[in-house]
Amino acid sequence: MEYEPTIVGFLCNWCSYTGADLAGTARIKHRPNLRVIRVMCSGRVDPTFIMQAFASGADGVMICGCHPGDCHYLEGNDKAYRRFQLLKKLMAAYGIEDQRLRLEWVSASEGERFARLVDTMTAELKELGPLKLPPDLSLVPGPCPDPTAVREVTHG
Amino acid sequence: MNQECRIGVYICNCGTNIAKVIDAEGVRNKVADLPGVACARTYEYMCSNPGQEMITRDIHEHGLDRVVVAACSPRMHEPTFRKALESAGLNPFMLEIANIREQCSWVHDDRAKATAKAADLTHAAIRRVARHVPLEKQEAPYTPVTMVLGGGIAGLTVAVELADAGQKVHLIERESRLGGNLGRVDLTAPYLDSARDLLAEKVVLAETNPRIDVRLRSTLTDLMGFVGNFTATVTHQDGSDTEIPVGSVVVCTGYREFDASRIERLGYGRHPDVITSFELEQRLRSGKMETADGRVPNYVSIVHCVGSRNAKYHTYCSRVCCMTALKYGHEIKSALPRAMVTDLYVDMLSFGKGGEDLYRRTSELKTMFLMFEKEDYPVVRAAEADDDCGLLVQVHERLSGETIDVPADLVVLMVGMQARSDSDQVARTVGISQDAEGWFIESHPKLAPVSTPTEGVFIAGCCQSPKDIPDTVAQARASVAMVLGFIAQGKVEVDARFAQVDGDLCSGCRVCNELCPYTAISYDPDEGRSEVQSALCKACGTCVAACPSGAITARHFTDEQILEQIEGVLAWSTSQP
Amino acid sequence: MAIRANPHLIDELEKYGAQDVVKCYHCGNCSATCPFSGEVFVFPRKSMRYLQLGLSSRLQGNLEPWLCYYCGECSEECPRGAEPGETMMSMRRWLTARYDFTGISGLFYRSAKAELLAIALVAILTGLGLTLFGLAQGNINVYDGPGAFLPAENIHIFDWIMAGVLVVLLGINCVRMWWYTVGSDKEVRIPPGDYLKQFFLVPWHFFTQRRYSQCDRKQPWAVHLVLMLSYLTMLILIMFFLHRVQHGPDIDWKVHAFGYVAAVGLVGTTIFALAGRVRKTWTHYKHSHETDWIFLVLLLVVSLTGIAQHVLHRGGWEVAANIVYIAHMMGVVPMLVLEVPFSKWSHMAYRPLAMYFSTLREKVLLAEEKTEPRPQSAAQTA
Repeated sequence: MEYEPTIVGFLCNWCSYTGADLAGTARIKHRPNLRVIRVMCSGRVDPTFIMQAFASGADGVMICGCHPGDCHYLEGNDKAYRRFQLLKKLMAAYGIEDQRLRLEWVSASEGERFARLVDTMTAELKELGPLKLPPDLSLVPGPCPDPTAVREVTHG
Repeated sequence: MNQECRIGVYICNCGTNIAKVIDAEGVRNKVADLPGVACARTYEYMCSNPGQEMITRDIHEHGLDRVVVAACSPRMHEPTFRKALESAGLNPFMLEIANIREQCSWVHDDRAKATAKAADLTHAAIRRVARHVPLEKQEAPYTPVTMVLGGGIAGLTVAVELADAGQKVHLIERESRLGGNLGRVDLTAPYLDSARDLLAEKVVLAETNPRIDVRLRSTLTDLMGFVGNFTATVTHQDGSDTEIPVGSVVVCTGYREFDASRIERLGYGRHPDVITSFELEQRLRSGKMETADGRVPNYVSIVHCVGSRNAKYHTYCSRVCCMTALKYGHEIKSALPRAMVTDLYVDMLSFGKGGEDLYRRTSELKTMFLMFEKEDYPVVRAAEADDDCGLLVQVHERLSGETIDVPADLVVLMVGMQARSDSDQVARTVGISQDAEGWFIESHPKLAPVSTPTEGVFIAGCCQSPKDIPDTVAQARASVAMVLGFIAQGKVEVDARFAQVDGDLCSGCRVCNELCPYTAISYDPDEGRSEVQSALCKACGTCVAACPSGAITARHFTDEQILEQIEGVLAWSTSQP
Repeated sequence: MAIRANPHLIDELEKYGAQDVVKCYHCGNCSATCPFSGEVFVFPRKSMRYLQLGLSSRLQGNLEPWLCYYCGECSEECPRGAEPGETMMSMRRWLTARYDFTGISGLFYRSAKAELLAIALVAILTGLGLTLFGLAQGNINVYDGPGAFLPAENIHIFDWIMAGVLVVLLGINCVRMWWYTVGSDKEVRIPPGDYLKQFFLVPWHFFTQRRYSQCDRKQPWAVHLVLMLSYLTMLILIMFFLHRVQHGPDIDWKVHAFGYVAAVGLVGTTIFALAGRVRKTWTHYKHSHETDWIFLVLLLVVSLTGIAQHVLHRGGWEVAANIVYIAHMMGVVPMLVLEVPFSKWSHMAYRPLAMYFSTLREKVLLAEEKTEPRPQSAAQTA
């Protein structure tokens, strides 16, 4: 069977989740590889969530928030952006390819854009193949993780 | 923990909307044996009364303490199912929705893959709901004062109606006069009433009613707080700021007309006798119907859809231009009985009450109707010196297949509506969204047409989308009803989702204090830790993600809940641990 | 090349009897109803469009109004209450005026007064001329034979001179019709051989009115055919057998039998049509232009006076017969001189010609379509 990557999506409630719903209402077909998790704001996306997703077997993670300046919470997406930049560096340290983590701005009216983003990311990850974390890497201590474990790395 | 839960899982077929692509029974079988699942069922329409009764019955019979509904988007029916839980005596927050319609069955074709995805999403919801805790709703007082942005017919209607109902209103108008775009119009379609008559009464009522505080040359520059408890900062042209406490804000900021000079072939700006519909209104109002060089026009040509229904400019229909053009047919004929009126249209949309009748009456005045392709605007050029007209409008006429030169002394361009250039500022200030064309987005296009995702902020009139006067007034009155609903209750429910600081874990680093966009987090120097004022908190969770010691919890979006969800969506998708 | 729209064209056509053209919004029900509307000639809708847009040149080159026999179904089906049938009728009047090089036709159609005045003038001149002629050379007591007041041989010559003039006038108008509708069109070139091969269509349609019989309703066709054949029979009798027709008091059954049948046909159909127009029985009788009344009344007067002078002559009332004969001629001459080249009678030439021309055009267009689709804007199909 053909390899199908699994992507975990963190979508902000106000813009991107609504945009993804719009793709549905408008029946804009796209690849079924994304699993969406709704958060109130892209600023809520804790780096732990992303590392946990990779550790649990995700091949990619996509964070979607409102366009800069359009954040329902004024500037949550700015915070997400800054965190994302730091996280990128951390990911490189773990050997996780750059294409596996994306931060995209999707407004409530951009159903079409959302669908295309899912398609392109799926295609890129197919090209890349399954994520292989180093075997000796104990990213997550147990089945129910201690969130502070990764956070220390991020901020420390 | 799961073993202790009793979760009911309900998978909706949504008629064929979900069942067509997703094997609901397959999903049910897959999740039925998961830890904590007490019962799992599929049903045609979960949102129907029998569907909801199925949940409440199971809550009683199976002693459920948590519910997962795999159905449409939570934006659609989360409130419905929360009520169902409540009616069965469960805390409404013990619910989780898996979105398997908008984000699954409607966007995928592959049945196997869509079913697998639906199962993953349902699994995630089951894992998440196991971590849900009951949340209690909180209440806050409602300030019975309303701020209305914009003094056009929508804003005036809202202000006057609310004041008539005995309520205090602040009417904020950017310009130096009330009336808005309607104040620039002569007669109105289809009954040819005078716009002046429609407006004058409302303006006088607004200006004289002591309950209405009219603030001209002013704009709303800041809006803090939450429904019932906003603090609005109104800035006057002279730079002075006033802070006003208000309960709700009704946005009626209207539209601006399309800039006709963008379509070069129509000749606006090049030929002085090519004018916009608003310029014609001006001439009709002043009674001076003549060409630039003072001649009485023998031929008047009206071009529809200028800037509307065109891939290059705006794809939407501006909704009022056809009727307005038909109205011009009458007004021009009554001002210039000998003039020949030609009407160049794409599709004649004379919908609604009185519309078709106006079309018939206008055609009986011998208005010549010519149909053009919407991407193919007519070309306006100067006529020859020996012509009996000043301009010629060349059009590829669709119904005859001919290329036709239409004589004209005056060309009237039916400029469409577009979002105001400052609408993004307004949207940002009051916290609402815009669609791709800049119009404000309502909560639901059919069921919640004047509400916005920000509670206590309503939209009415053309700022939401192009519409005619009756629809604008209807929306204005609808938002009045919404506001009066709040005032009647006298209080508002504050979202149970907010951030909480665990005082024992907080180290008092104050990182969160700076991050909070609503200054809801303050530092208590005596205790040496930060606190969240729940009424100010809007639950974005930015502080939660940033807290280095994990001391802040986002209620209903806790780390545990989201981590369970992550595990849930991935559990079946991967061979990795 | 763009065509100039003439916003006044509808006003002009209204003088020719067009009604409610502005009501049409091009749903196409009329064309869907009409059994003749086809691939190449889409009417009445297309003609309605030309008219609404004021495309005078297109309308002038349009054969479609002649392809319609006004059964009235389109007007009945019209959801807007526009009158496509009557508008096609008015276009035929307008086209008749356009084909006529003298301008008299347009004058008559636009003004019933002018037509009535012209008829009166020609009638008086005819009456005066014939009376003076009779008094100068004959005896009012004698109807035929030697000393006849109006001898058949003289009238015969007069008839032939008149017919010659009429044929020349109508012929010129027919040539103009050809030029407008076929000759001047550079897009559709008709091979000269086709003109010869298809010429049989002119007499075929003239005598049978085959196309009219293909309308859904057969009755109007029958009435029209009886009227036309009766008239034609009478014309042949007068043009070729005038002497035998007039000779009396014996009845020459070999010619008179035809005359009686034709007279019954003429009077019957004329009265039927007049009664229909008064009572508005059929859709195509609902709207009557002044010229329709003048035509029918004139025809009835001519038929009745013709019968009367025949009866009077056979009854031996020679003086009365001569007087009624003059009255008859006072009807016949204006009818022929004015109606044939300039008014309603001209359609007996234009209609068969239109069938002929349209068949020629259709052949070329359909052949072209098989090889390459025509760009729509260039297609002046009528």
